[in-house]
Amino acid sequence: MKISRREFLALGAKATAGTMIFAACGLPERELIVQSPVDMPEDLVRGEDAWYATTWPDMPGGDGLIVRVMQGRAKKIAGNPDHPVNRGKQSARHDAAIQLTYHPDRIQEPMMRQSKGGLYEPISWGRAEQVLQQAVEAGADNMAVVTNPLGGHLEWVAINFAALNGGRHIKFDPTEQGVMQDAIRFVYGQEDPPYYDIANANTVLSVGADWLSTWQSSVGYSVRYGDFRSKEERGYLIHAEPRMSMTAANADLWLPVIPGYEGHLAMSIASVILEERLASSTEIARFFNQIPTASMVGFRPEDIEERVGVSAYKIRKAARHFAEHRPSLAFAGGSAGAHTNGQFNIAATHALNTLVGAVGSDGGVKYNPVSPLDGLTGRCSGDSFTDWEVELAQWRSGNVQTVIVRGADIVHGMPDSVDVVGAMDGVPNVIGFGSVMNDTLANCDLILPEKTFLETWGTTIPDPAPGYEVVTIQQPVIGDTELFSGNGLISDARGFGDELLRIADGELGADDMEELVNASIDQLYDLSRGSVSAPTSRLFRQGVLQRGGWWDTDATVETPDDHTPPNVFDLESAVHYSSTDGLGDGADFHLVPFLSNSLYEGRLSATPFAMQNPDPMSSAAWATWAEINDQEADHLGIRQGDVLFIKSEYGEIEALAYPTPGGRPGVIGVPIGLGHENGGRYDEGLGSNVFKILAPRVEPASGSLAWAGTRVRVARSGRKREVPKFEGEVVAFPVEPGVPVLVVAPGESAHDAEVANHHEYQQNFLLPDSGEGSEEESGGGH
Amino acid sequence: MTLQREKRDYSWGMVVDVDKCTGCQACVLACQAENNVPLNLQDRFERARAMQWIRVERYWEGEFPDVKARFIPIMCQHCENAPCEPVCPVFATYHNNEGLNVQVYNRCVGTRYCANGCPYIVRFFNYWEPVWPEAFRNHLNPDVTVRSRGIMEKCSFCVQRIRRGVRNAERDGRKVVDGEIQTACTQACPTDALVFGNFNDEDSKVSKMKKDDRHYTLLPHLATDPNVVYLAQIDTDRSAGESHG
Repeated sequence: MKISRREFLALGAKATAGTMIFAACGLPERELIVQSPVDMPEDLVRGEDAWYATTWPDMPGGDGLIVRVMQGRAKKIAGNPDHPVNRGKQSARHDAAIQLTYHPDRIQEPMMRQSKGGLYEPISWGRAEQVLQQAVEAGADNMAVVTNPLGGHLEWVAINFAALNGGRHIKFDPTEQGVMQDAIRFVYGQEDPPYYDIANANTVLSVGADWLSTWQSSVGYSVRYGDFRSKEERGYLIHAEPRMSMTAANADLWLPVIPGYEGHLAMSIASVILEERLASSTEIARFFNQIPTASMVGFRPEDIEERVGVSAYKIRKAARHFAEHRPSLAFAGGSAGAHTNGQFNIAATHALNTLVGAVGSDGGVKYNPVSPLDGLTGRCSGDSFTDWEVELAQWRSGNVQTVIVRGADIVHGMPDSVDVVGAMDGVPNVIGFGSVMNDTLANCDLILPEKTFLETWGTTIPDPAPGYEVVTIQQPVIGDTELFSGNGLISDARGFGDELLRIADGELGADDMEELVNASIDQLYDLSRGSVSAPTSRLFRQGVLQRGGWWDTDATVETPDDHTPPNVFDLESAVHYSSTDGLGDGADFHLVPFLSNSLYEGRLSATPFAMQNPDPMSSAAWATWAEINDQEADHLGIRQGDVLFIKSEYGEIEALAYPTPGGRPGVIGVPIGLGHENGGRYDEGLGSNVFKILAPRVEPASGSLAWAGTRVRVARSGRKREVPKFEGEVVAFPVEPGVPVLVVAPGESAHDAEVANHHEYQQNFLLPDSGEGSEEESGGGH
Repeated sequence: MTLQREKRDYSWGMVVDVDKCTGCQACVLACQAENNVPLNLQDRFERARAMQWIRVERYWEGEFPDVKARFIPIMCQHCENAPCEPVCPVFATYHNNEGLNVQVYNRCVGTRYCANGCPYIVRFFNYWEPVWPEAFRNHLNPDVTVRSRGIMEKCSFCVQRIRRGVRNAERDGRKVVDGEIQTACTQACPTDALVFGNFNDEDSKVSKMKKDDRHYTLLPHLATDPNVVYLAQIDTDRSAGESHG
């Protein structure tokens, strides 16, 4: 139906009159709906949309995604409802990632500089490939290919390209989880991270790992958390972490442990279970199979509460709930492993699983199978900080001729003490691939525009897998053409894997990533099992691409139910921090950096979608803030928005003070992800880079950086600036004054809770000489 | 008193299980991407003009170490007795028979009376022309109008998805199946704390959830009769009958 402008106006006038006339006896809705913006003929969208299944290998978890594509443009990223890891759900990071593809500051074409520190000049791809080829030849036998942890085919190409040219592949992950992998290997003898059956657990005890926000497959875990809370016996979450992270905020019981004492806390929980005989004799016998009973002396909550910073009452409460409401499950990671005793902290937590029979049972820990594809692994951790120090020493000494870097912002992500830029200056040919500039690319000699994950082929092997074999397929969802906007070229980019395969000239057995992926799909077809069955390999391939991957729920591995933990006291259990001696005026704090819920480690800080997405706890955006306990801040005279100097032995950054009741006294929490000197119009020069001031201390067994082991001195600068945050944008409107969010006891109805609170409301606010405390108690809200 | 309207096949509504909301903000960005909500650049935060059709509020209770954080997602409540509707002089906002509080952008003249009338503070005014760099326009949703300066906007329950779903069902000669239409926020929500559906369908998930003893609505004393129903958060440390204070 076509409507002229005149007819439209006439309709509008009639509808307006009609609304007034019929307001009391039902609305003539048809007339109104016809003017609804989505039903106006000129607003009806022509053309068909399509949803393509793919994945994003740069983000941990291996989540399956679907992308809405219309007229050749990607419009929206969502979770793939078929995918077993994230079951159709997504994080804010996934939505933000679309802006990496359409970023107005995408690197448009290859750029080269003639000397270190020189100006970049655009060059053709032909010339760029020539330079790349020469650099690879020059670097033969001593070349490094640097990437973020990738897994799947892209990592396979990086490893094999490096090996083909006599070099090595080295991975960088600023919040490296190598210590966690070592602890898993130590406790369970497994190479791959196990699957935590959160959905079927009645009690989850997590330590350090912010698994609802940024740790491992946070979307997959959140999906299971929804199941965990929906069961007939609602799951009970205990979380130990020095700051109130998003996971801590959702816990029924938060244990605000002193940084570095997570393992001691776990052993104290174990001591309660043993003392009160909350585990069976078999479970206790297994626990003590290798752990000497004498080691547990001194871990009674009453003996240890001051050391770990958690009251004996809460430790006992946690232990009782953990042991009595089974199935129970314990795991650790994140900041718990980022100490000089990180492996002990994680291993001690996992040892608790033996005391509740969690290993190998539903609602507990289950081992994961290895990848069904030969030579392909999950997205494992980066190389250790110690390995990186050795590598960078090689660069600095001039022994390395060529470095190829992709997806790893090593300049931003390493402490200043390491002097990455100085090391890069020692390498004659540093070649970087990327879609938007970052601090590492800005120090490369040749910058090559890289296609994003929406434009390339690949695979991910979820790490951890959901207990069975899964392969997620990444496919280009928008055309394999140069990207143009109305104003001209966005980017003439090429895929990192495709380009390395081109340079390898067939030596790696494929000409491009698509060929590699297809070969792997054929390999899956030959297995004759799994989620897709088809009479021919061509139809099988179509099925796999449509569903976004392949999985086999029967392809599990057996987890022994008689697991005995090793002697965790063989590991270094004492924690060591950096010193604050001689750092001038101020108060001493323990620095706990944390991954940003939307920026991650800075991977998305170029995108305004991610930059403007409020932090769940502070609601801050576009700035680096510092979380300090509100009472301590009050005592120190620190107010919200005060610009703070945060000083370590290795440098100083500035951050805006954000006093919060969710901060542990003595701990200052600073988000990771900002402070880029290069990163496009939305990122450059904003905030501070907390990595810069970290002390280069390591966990001795794995060589991983103890990134939560730095102590700092904090002082006011005398300057003040408003914290850009969503909090306060709208006035709080409690259900009733003092009741911002209605809370019920288990089994209590909302009505009864409202009645109870209503009486309180009457007493406090309606009766003469009423109190005035309730609104303050809800203070800090919006 | 609720206006009695002729009900159609559908009465769209949402149930928010506060007990499952982790505060992850996935809904916030999913909504923004789906509905072309303008970018909240730094100055928008500093001027307290940031726009979010759905926001996740965070409240503190208590002091360290016995402190608790509470999250609650707030969006347009699509009230049956919406205070924003009668105050609009140009009928840019009205209530349809499917439970939607609809905003007609091409009628809005920007009086902002509706925003003043809304007790939930979920209406946002475009004080500036939204700026989308040319490149970002590639990912704008073609189903949703980009609002201009001077226009009021708010959560529409992703009306474009509802219309598409209903059209598809009508084309096939059937009713919309429960779960077939999802708003962007409910599609994204990892824990299923947000559920969208048809309250007229007794078997729909939202109808069943609405019968939960934990159900309540925001600001019930204002008798706005919202189509967004909340399920109260469970606190295991609370005793039944205890007040928050």
